[in-house]
Amino acid sequence: MKSHSSSLLLASLLTTAVAFSGCKRDGDSQPTVGTVSLTVTNVVGTQPLALDGTAYTTASGETFTVSTFEYYLSNIKFTKSDGTTYAAPNEYHLVNTAKPASTSFTISNVPTGDYTGVSFIVGVDSTTTKGDPLALTGDLNPANAMHWAWNTGHIFLKLEGSVTSASPSKALTCHIGGYRAPYSAIVTAAPSLNGATLLVRAGQSPKIALTADVLKIFDGPTKFALSNFPTTMMPSAASVQVANNYANGMFAVKQIQAN
Amino acid sequence: MLRKRLPVGLRQLLAHWRPAALLALGGAVVGSCASQPEVARAVPGTGQPANFPAMVYGLAKNQPDAATFELGRRLFYDPRLSSDGRVSCGSCHQAAAAFAHAGQRVSPGVAGRRATRNAPALQNLRWRHGFMADGGVLSLELQTLAPLTSPEEMNTPLATALAKLNADPEYRRLFAASYGPGQIDTPQFLRALAQFTAALTSANSRYDKYVRHETGGMLTAPEQRGRALFAAKCSSCHATDLFTDESFRNNGLDRTFARDSGRAHITSRATDRGRFQVPSLRNVARTAPYMHDGRFATLAQVLAHYDHGVQPSATLDPLLHQPGGRLGIALSAAQQAELLAFLQTLTDDAFLTDRRLAPLTDAVITKSASPMAARN
Repeated sequence: MKSHSSSLLLASLLTTAVAFSGCKRDGDSQPTVGTVSLTVTNVVGTQPLALDGTAYTTASGETFTVSTFEYYLSNIKFTKSDGTTYAAPNEYHLVNTAKPASTSFTISNVPTGDYTGVSFIVGVDSTTTKGDPLALTGDLNPANAMHWAWNTGHIFLKLEGSVTSASPSKALTCHIGGYRAPYSAIVTAAPSLNGATLLVRAGQSPKIALTADVLKIFDGPTKFALSNFPTTMMPSAASVQVANNYANGMFAVKQIQAN
Repeated sequence: MLRKRLPVGLRQLLAHWRPAALLALGGAVVGSCASQPEVARAVPGTGQPANFPAMVYGLAKNQPDAATFELGRRLFYDPRLSSDGRVSCGSCHQAAAAFAHAGQRVSPGVAGRRATRNAPALQNLRWRHGFMADGGVLSLELQTLAPLTSPEEMNTPLATALAKLNADPEYRRLFAASYGPGQIDTPQFLRALAQFTAALTSANSRYDKYVRHETGGMLTAPEQRGRALFAAKCSSCHATDLFTDESFRNNGLDRTFARDSGRAHITSRATDRGRFQVPSLRNVARTAPYMHDGRFATLAQVLAHYDHGVQPSATLDPLLHQPGGRLGIALSAAQQAELLAFLQTLTDDAFLTDRRLAPLTDAVITKSASPMAARN
């Protein structure tokens, strides 16, 4: 294994060098990295999520609408059956239901191999939060309104809408963030590949199709009734409960396409 | 200042060649004040005072540059960055008050809205590890975003501020001169403002000259007794020549903290309720009113609080528990007078009246006002 991973490392370094020098040398050597695509479909139970005022019903019969649903996916890792992992560097993706293009992205330079697991942080790691603020560009840009100015850090997940079964209807405001103990909301989701294997090969681009089910935010290790779902605008015990809910079951792998 | 003196051609040349010039000049800026070249000298507050600890936000993090400093100054004093076009950073952070807000317990923001905290003095920010009374903001650059976006202060989302700047030809020109052509983006905006806020160095009070054995560094006998008292009774929190250890402490203002939980607002920990960051005391004679909520109008009231006003609570700082159950810091009338005399020596008139830190003249502002004002 050791020699195998060293040669992998060497090969990926060479590939990187070639990529940076801008040269294309087809056929010189067999590339040892592939690309993985991820696509997320935001749903409520079995229905697609729409931000147009559509009312959705929870298992207990409460109803709600959604106006905003955004979250970060970062620190994506792929695991092989032997337990070794590949951690994709510098992957920070803001998935915004209002922007369909944001629900799909690709991860390049994944070493070829047969992967049996995938995991990611739903949010942003504390190293980035405490790091150089001038590096916050692209999806991490504070101008995306997924960033707390008063308590430095990104909003990991934002769900806004209305609980329409409440009388009068009640605002649904859920902004989850925070990296400090004991209320760190940095959670990792590892949706099962359901026994399938992700085959990463040079020149192939396998695709993981995920769903993200809003209902699981209320229904996980902690069961929330919408009538008393906490308004979370800052790190708290409640926000950690919500984060653990969405880490444990919001994401599900629906399909793995070979190419 | 420099921009006005130099012919346009030379200014453009300097702007164009800035990266190379700065590389060449960087060593001189850090190495010696005496040999600072003209470009670097135009930016105030870049020196390392001998009696200060090392900078946290060192020069290399945002290399001081005359044109970009002036851009930051323009942004700092531009009310068009607020939602009603009336509130700039400088509205509540005024140079003559060490960039606090003279006489305002809590400053009015847009539409006269008021939050809960007193506008703090802005000085020696290069030496700070955290920002805000609750320490919620981690860097000088990001600090800009808190008042900009707060609904009770300037009430402008960052994306809106950037759109306003990008719609203004003068700002486009100024940002391009510093950062190259293209859209004005978040890092450029944060860096430009930090060029100004990082320049607010106050290190030339009579006290500073005294400890550095410089000309004019005389303290009277009562001031010296005040200094000794300060060292004995105050300096465990108001530590070093920055006059703060930046810790979060409950100094006994209240028994409950429903209105403002301080550090707990950031950490959500019960043990942090009522704790606020120890403020610097530089220029303290000019930064009234005092405390995070501006409740005390005078320094005499502050000293009276420590002598006999400290309130008990679970998070009261241990240093305010005296043997025998007494709370606070016992200070006789004579001691209070001597402390007050000493605190006056922390006033740095050169800083408070530095014209390079003052608002740009009306003529300069109005020249470019129309395009952006039309968008408000």
